[in-house]
Amino acid sequence: MARLLEVNNLRTQFFTQDGVVNAVNGISYTLDEGETLGIVGESGCGKSVGVMSLIKLIPTPPGKIVEGSVIFNGENLIDMSDGEIRSVRGNKIGMIFQDPMTSLNPVLTIGRQIQEALELHMGMDKAQSKARAIELLELVGIPSAADRINDYPHQFSGGMRQRVMIAIGLSCNPQLLIADEPTTALDVTIQAQIVDLVKKLRDDLGMAIIWITHDLGVVAGLADRMLVMYAGMIVEEAPVKELYANPSHPYTVGLLGSLPRLDQVSGEKLDSIEGLPPDLIDLPKGCPFHARCKYRIEKCFTENPPLKTIGVGHKAACWIDVTKDPITTERPYQEV
Amino acid sequence: MLSYIVRRLLWLPFLLAIMIFITFWLGFYGPGSPEVVLLGQRYDPETAAVIKEQWGLNEPFALQYVKYVRNYVTLNFGESLTKYQGQPVARLLARRLPVTMELNAAAIALGVPLGIILGAIAATYHGRWQDRSIIFFTVLFRAVPSLVAGPVLLFVFAKQLKILPVGGWDGLFSASAILPVSILASGVVAGFARQTRANMLDVLSADYVRTARSKGLSEQMVMSRHVLQNALIPLVTILGLVLGSIVEGTLITETIFGIPGMGQLAFEAIGARDYPIIIAVTVLAAFIFALANLWADLFYGIIDPRIRQS
Amino acid sequence: MAVKAIPHAKIKKPRTMWGDVVLRFSQNLPAMMGLIVVIGLYAVALLAPILVTTNYTAIDLDNVRSAPSLVHYLGTDELGRDVYSRVVWAARSAAFVSIFVPALSLSLGLFFGIIAGYVGGWVDTIVMRLGDILFAFPGLLFVFFIAATIKPAILLWVKGIGLTEFAKQGFVDYIVVFTALSLVGWPGLARLVRGQFLTLRNREFVLAAEAIGVSQWRIALKHILPNAMTPVIVVVSGGIGGTIAAETSLSFLGIGLQPPNPSWGQMISDYYIYWRNTELWPLLFIPSIILVVIILAFTFVGDGLHEALNPYLD
Repeated sequence: MARLLEVNNLRTQFFTQDGVVNAVNGISYTLDEGETLGIVGESGCGKSVGVMSLIKLIPTPPGKIVEGSVIFNGENLIDMSDGEIRSVRGNKIGMIFQDPMTSLNPVLTIGRQIQEALELHMGMDKAQSKARAIELLELVGIPSAADRINDYPHQFSGGMRQRVMIAIGLSCNPQLLIADEPTTALDVTIQAQIVDLVKKLRDDLGMAIIWITHDLGVVAGLADRMLVMYAGMIVEEAPVKELYANPSHPYTVGLLGSLPRLDQVSGEKLDSIEGLPPDLIDLPKGCPFHARCKYRIEKCFTENPPLKTIGVGHKAACWIDVTKDPITTERPYQEV
Repeated sequence: MLSYIVRRLLWLPFLLAIMIFITFWLGFYGPGSPEVVLLGQRYDPETAAVIKEQWGLNEPFALQYVKYVRNYVTLNFGESLTKYQGQPVARLLARRLPVTMELNAAAIALGVPLGIILGAIAATYHGRWQDRSIIFFTVLFRAVPSLVAGPVLLFVFAKQLKILPVGGWDGLFSASAILPVSILASGVVAGFARQTRANMLDVLSADYVRTARSKGLSEQMVMSRHVLQNALIPLVTILGLVLGSIVEGTLITETIFGIPGMGQLAFEAIGARDYPIIIAVTVLAAFIFALANLWADLFYGIIDPRIRQS
Repeated sequence: MAVKAIPHAKIKKPRTMWGDVVLRFSQNLPAMMGLIVVIGLYAVALLAPILVTTNYTAIDLDNVRSAPSLVHYLGTDELGRDVYSRVVWAARSAAFVSIFVPALSLSLGLFFGIIAGYVGGWVDTIVMRLGDILFAFPGLLFVFFIAATIKPAILLWVKGIGLTEFAKQGFVDYIVVFTALSLVGWPGLARLVRGQFLTLRNREFVLAAEAIGVSQWRIALKHILPNAMTPVIVVVSGGIGGTIAAETSLSFLGIGLQPPNPSWGQMISDYYIYWRNTELWPLLFIPSIILVVIILAFTFVGDGLHEALNPYLD
């Protein structure tokens, strides 16, 4: 498969009254055509800002991409002018957002909101774009699409609105679809429908997907590869099965441990990660996770571990090997 | 939508009935007994009794009220007691109303678009010098009452610079209209600019604007197609409030500039304790205000699909 | 696993909400300047008897139109009244207005808003319709009307029951003008408070309090009210400048505070015709400038509070 996207050392900061927020701190990854990448992490770990930065959709000011490059189809998106990046947005790269209740304009018909991008990027006239919008609504599973095209967002349910959002994201046949927690605001049954829909569309249309979530369960059946982010950095990267089988960063171990499982012994408590993520204005020295880590050693307090390869397609940023039995007597828990 | 319209339409006569009742009630127990005002210093009980009999003031509250309502419904607002003694109030109003309407219509026609444009500019350049200077002027416009602005502007433009007339009224399209219209319009500009700016900033941070940007729309397209409409819809409702504030401005501005409109009439009536005029002006102004608010509500229903289709 | 409790990540020393508000307010230059002017107004109002030794109503026809001097700091007007003492005493009226009118409309607004929002049902309907009716009168028209019709009646009544001295002191003026201005102010506040109550009463912390059996009125006053106050403070403080302007407008028209009560509106009413006068025109500017500065000061304080209470607004 050909390389579609290459992100190198991307760094995004927000310049606020309280100080500089280090939202994304030098992340690098790649994505092939037709591949699905899942990005997981807690709220505020920089995963949304990270993907918004790809198409320069962060509010500027206060946000600023201070370093790095994003090579998409051989071109650096970061160096593009406003006009050039706009011809990529909604065209070659489509987006879906978290909250379908607020992400659609309440005073425009959904037809208009889909047609807008078609007329802009594909040079269609009103009739053509309308026909295509109906086609798209049918594609995302909205019944009697031809009638509903003149309806307003408030006439749709949350799940249906998210389908409309997907139709907008896919309208210009993008090579890459960025989905920013598209199921978080939906009911569990609707979540599964949306995931299945996206999966089916991917298999039919062949676009690559970056799917952001804080829920490891949602992406398990969808993603080919996973990135785990913490404090604006990538702490682990692995093919999806490998990640679930051999989590190699203490944070990933914690995330997986906090998932309830059907085969769990009854009465056993879920593992949770104690403490809070670090303050992004005032990042701690050393590994950003050390304050909450059960496995930490002295080195973690002073040096941030690099992301290093530990298996086929598997990288982790940790000084120790957590797959070997963790906390033992010969390596006691480090007091602060 | 239909029930909404009907509800709004029924509210108007109900409101009018209440206004007429309040004004009558206050007038009945208030100091405005015609015989007292009419006779003034020459008051003597005998003449007063004759006048009371003549005017039907000895009749019971309910009967007087029915007559009063009947008179108002047939646009008979009584006669002026002192200032324009004997003249029907309706005729006085008919002569004065057009001037006031022209003045206010000009202020709104000028102030609303200007306010919206300034508010939109301020929001677009949020935090930069354009924004700051527009905020400065709206705060200033809001803080300078017309009783200060009137004399000061007259001093500057009529006395010192001698480029504008000293007052009076030669019609809307004359130099005499420039200062009063500007003063009334400045309040409208301040109100609309402030509200437009706030609404636009609100909308600019909305999720659907981010969606619009993610489609690759240019900033102009985002503004014209997604931001403006959403920011302008709620403005319809503040038109009513603005109208209310220029009613007050009209009273003072007309007095200072010597413009023969309703405001000046009301001012004269207050000074002369001419209660039929005061009451008629109040009811008329409240009626126009209620009508404007009704129009605003209906218009709101038409332009907002969420109300239109409910 | 034999792991000791993990200390939480370092958390910054917590600041109280009001500490934050004070900090943000103090960093806002216009707001602080406004606050200084407002404090100055209250100081002048309090110290008026010390600052002024001349009687501000005294007419001295031998000494009209005199230029500023050590006796008359701002000169005298056409009736020989000392302009400086008129200005200073009028500060008292403005200070009264700025305290009593907001306090009265706030009390009415809170009372009716809480009742409407918390009791609901027909009480809500009645209170809100009452507000709608008051709203139906454009702005200050209702105040003009009350001041023009009721005040003379009350004055007659007060004199009638033998309180001639009381009537002469002009307290009736204050009471009627303040009450009328407050009557116009409360429906907006009541709506706001009601809206806040309707939103907050379904929030989790209220449901939690209900679940553990906290009494209804305790929930209303201890749990909901403090959370509903922020927008109320913003609206009340933002309206003070307008209230002062309204009082001066009423006094200008001759239906607000009338002599012997001092008011800048009265002064402007007396002096505005001097705009054409080559000699006396400064008299127009003295009360005008002071009035605008005071209104601006209250506006800045109100805006500053608004921003300090809603830091993420802009």
